[in-house]
Amino acid sequence: MIKVSGLVKSFTQGKNITEVLKDVNLEIEEGEFVAIMGPSGSGKSTLLQLLGGLDSPTNGKIEVGGKAISEMSENQRTIFRRKNIGIIFQNYQLLNNLTVEENIAFPLYADGTLDKEKMKEVKELIQAVGLNELNKKQANLLSGGQQQRVAIARSLVNQPNVLLADEPTGNLDRSKAEEILLLLTQFHKKNNQTIIMVTHDIFAAGFADKIILFKDGTIEQIISREDENYAQYLANFMA
Amino acid sequence: MSVKYGIMTLLYDKKCHGYELKIELDQLLGSKGKVNPGQIYTTLDRLIRDELVIPLDIDEQERKLFTLDVSGKTELEEWLLEAVPYHSTKEDFFFKWICARKIDYANESQMLEQQKSMVLKEVMDLTKLKTDLLIKGDENNYLLITGRLLHLEADLNWITQVENRQTKP
Repeated sequence: MIKVSGLVKSFTQGKNITEVLKDVNLEIEEGEFVAIMGPSGSGKSTLLQLLGGLDSPTNGKIEVGGKAISEMSENQRTIFRRKNIGIIFQNYQLLNNLTVEENIAFPLYADGTLDKEKMKEVKELIQAVGLNELNKKQANLLSGGQQQRVAIARSLVNQPNVLLADEPTGNLDRSKAEEILLLLTQFHKKNNQTIIMVTHDIFAAGFADKIILFKDGTIEQIISREDENYAQYLANFMA
Repeated sequence: MSVKYGIMTLLYDKKCHGYELKIELDQLLGSKGKVNPGQIYTTLDRLIRDELVIPLDIDEQERKLFTLDVSGKTELEEWLLEAVPYHSTKEDFFFKWICARKIDYANESQMLEQQKSMVLKEVMDLTKLKTDLLIKGDENNYLLITGRLLHLEADLNWITQVENRQTKP
């Protein structure tokens, strides 16, 4: 379970303090696929970064699987993230000079846990994301959709319980986006991973079980398919 | 497309005779085709029988004029505000919208909002269904639903465009 309480994040620039997240409270059950939607600058990506331990909150508490990551040092957070959280970015963030296989295996290499057995798992992941024939190709020579497949495989290589995706289809056309979302859904169903995906695209959010509507640094509403008026809430939010 | 509501739209704020209705209904339909004159008169008869349209006097060229009754106006406005379900092929939201524009309908924004909500519900339901189908290995139905979703995306974009143009100064 992911539990967020009283979360505040402010950024200071000179004398100006900007509060990007304002008292965010949230619970996400294990195995849920949640989409976070909201306008640009509403703080949704900042929330994802805090959930992934990439940054620390100004105030409030974040627990992932019972561990309070908001109280960890940067070093502790990094170790925790490597073991428990996979992250996918809109711009893929691959190491351009490395091959597909090297990129996917990189987190294991960085952890010093890459061995023969793990390499077998890397190969299985490459197969699962449909990049078998491209595994020796350099990352910067791949298309956007292919690069995002590599990023997904890389995010899964440590078998994390939680997968965070920040606009994973933002740079892709509809049909490539569909392939990526199906891939995420298949992994989600197979491994029962918790997925939290930030998106501005309702067609991507449709893959999720629950949608968090985010505005001005806080949660405006959490809607699930069981809510009778969820489509009306969405329409109002998107107006 | 409904000849009934097309006629009611044209009679909303003016009197018309049968031939005039035929010409204007063809214009309202745009590229969707022409209406058979016989269909206009049988529809008018039904509208008079149902007390939605009132037959008036004959004009100077001896053509019978018609106008919409208050109950007809109410029914037309109710129809305009009813979101169009996507499983229905009989009704068409674009036709409804052009009828609303024709009468400068005051609740157009509400009408668009309700249709958007209908589209979003369909998007959410179909996205769930298509992933379930694909996981079950039903490739053909998955592809059919993907096609429907692409149409819904176009509809949603169109509604947003209309809303954006409405808010322009």
